[in-house]
Amino acid sequence: MLVGGCDVGSTTGKAVILDGTSIVSHFIVPSTTHPERTARMAMDEAIKGAGLASLTDLTYVVGTGYGRLKVPFANENVSEITCHARGAHWLNPAVRTVVDIGGQDCKVMSLDKNGKVLEFAMNDRCAAGTGRFFEAMARVLGCGLEGISSLENQGTNPATISSQCSVFAESEVVTLINEGLDLPNIVAGINNSVANRIFAMVRRVGLAKELAMTGGCSKNEGLAKALEKKLGVDVTLLPQDPQIAGAVGAALIAGEKASSS
Amino acid sequence: METNLTSSAFKELAAAASGIMNPAVDDWRSRGGKVVGYFCSHVPTEVLMAAGILPFRMRGTGSTGTELSDAYFSSINCSFPRHTFNQALKGEYDFLDGLLCISSCDHVRRVYDNWKQNLPTPFIRIMSLPKKVGDPQVAWYREEIQILRDELGKHFGVEISDDRLREAIALRNQTRRLQRQLYELRKREHPPISGAETLAVMVAGSSIPAEPYNQLLRTLLDDLAQSNGSREYRARLMVVGSELDDPEYLDIIEGQGGLVVTDSICYGTRTMWVDVDETAADPVGALARYYIQERPSCPRMNGDQARRSQFLQDLIREFQVDGVIGERMLFCDFWCAEHYMNKVDLKEVGIPFLQLDREYILSGKGQLRTRIQAFLETMGR
Repeated sequence: MLVGGCDVGSTTGKAVILDGTSIVSHFIVPSTTHPERTARMAMDEAIKGAGLASLTDLTYVVGTGYGRLKVPFANENVSEITCHARGAHWLNPAVRTVVDIGGQDCKVMSLDKNGKVLEFAMNDRCAAGTGRFFEAMARVLGCGLEGISSLENQGTNPATISSQCSVFAESEVVTLINEGLDLPNIVAGINNSVANRIFAMVRRVGLAKELAMTGGCSKNEGLAKALEKKLGVDVTLLPQDPQIAGAVGAALIAGEKASSS
Repeated sequence: METNLTSSAFKELAAAASGIMNPAVDDWRSRGGKVVGYFCSHVPTEVLMAAGILPFRMRGTGSTGTELSDAYFSSINCSFPRHTFNQALKGEYDFLDGLLCISSCDHVRRVYDNWKQNLPTPFIRIMSLPKKVGDPQVAWYREEIQILRDELGKHFGVEISDDRLREAIALRNQTRRLQRQLYELRKREHPPISGAETLAVMVAGSSIPAEPYNQLLRTLLDDLAQSNGSREYRARLMVVGSELDDPEYLDIIEGQGGLVVTDSICYGTRTMWVDVDETAADPVGALARYYIQERPSCPRMNGDQARRSQFLQDLIREFQVDGVIGERMLFCDFWCAEHYMNKVDLKEVGIPFLQLDREYILSGKGQLRTRIQAFLETMGR
């Protein structure tokens, strides 16, 4: 039985097709100004990738993410908090803490042994510690997101960026540039500042091993390293692209719904 | 606000809550009645009522920005006084004959300073509210209430006798009893009134003179007595927090399937769960005791957290609450630590707790919906 998960985020749309317990195909597209279109584009590509003819080949589809109410072909929607937890736990059943950093949100979830969310914390009306924040910093530094992520680019003497506000943090970075600080130390400072913020959120829900990162920003290696140092635990790597964890979770829930109905 | 209530009494009450000025206030004033605005549920409104004055609780309802008031506040002041003072600067409160502030918190205290300097309201006073709960504080507050009684009497040229105070207390208690009857209906498996609708009714209670309000409430109770709610819900929730006067906020929670069946907010149970002693020989003393010691406690009061926590647990039992949402306006210092303690206490009794930060005017609806939906999902609902 084929089922689908579609995660329409603020920055990208993700679609996953599952056959029982294996991922048949997945696809990521940049978000458009129309969530319906984003959802359709991602799912069309995933369907193509799976060698299927059309949407009707999917028994059940669950939508998630910011645009979850606007996935036109979804049978129902589930919050991205539940979906990321389910997805990450399925990809690695040892996971008990999930840090999901997307385009405009960061969330931390604590999980039980079945992948059910026990507690969660989420950034409140603020872009600090999200993809938007990294995009703004990359623009100011002119280094691209790769420049912020790259492990070679993490200075050993990180600058202190204390502002919790993205806009003010940007001003702080401009000041550092003008003071002539090395780029790698600024980059390490940026990743540290986000790691500190996530550290506080992890403390709210309570840290339990293993900890996995999901969402687009989980690909930021510099951030992962900074977070490991701050938390004192290793970040567990997932066997699949962590950006699709939410869509995987949605597809898993779709599978359950399809078999129970 | 989503509503399928057809009761005309409800419609009238909801209309009063949805703006500042309303027909009942207009009517009161056209007959020569005076109106005094007040901040905070610790203000003894019975004294105003005994002076023949309509107490009107200050809100920023309808505000869309704080561009006028921002000059007088800093970026760490909470948005409630900013929006409310902005409405005043726009002239929305020109109908007031007086303003009664109280040292409930530093943000509201600053409204007093700025109002005095910038607006010509003839009678402006600030009351000093003790920080602790105890007998010496009751004695202190008794004195404050006595000063208010004297100053009101002098300014408005009325004599506020003990008898008039007792009458006002009895009338206000009647409102409290009717409001408790409304809450009683929410204990049902299918309450005939939602949390958002109830909040509108409660907000109207501090914006309409007591007699017509009580009459509307009686009619509403009659209208609801025989009906059951048709609303499907995933869980029964309680909302705990501070100044929340916007039914739309609860509407969003209920739109996700979390039916709000009770609360501890200062437009809800904290204003009416117990009565003031209406037969006391010393009515001023009775009011002081009520506002300091007897009414459900607010986190601004020091050393009283255990009583507050017990109050929540009593409500959870009575209303069969499945989960609790703690809301806090950004920069509110009283509620920041309180919600952490609530979370710990509720965890011990197995009640899920979600903390939400908010602004005075509803914003970030998408994030709010995600949190509520995820909260209900974590509850397995």
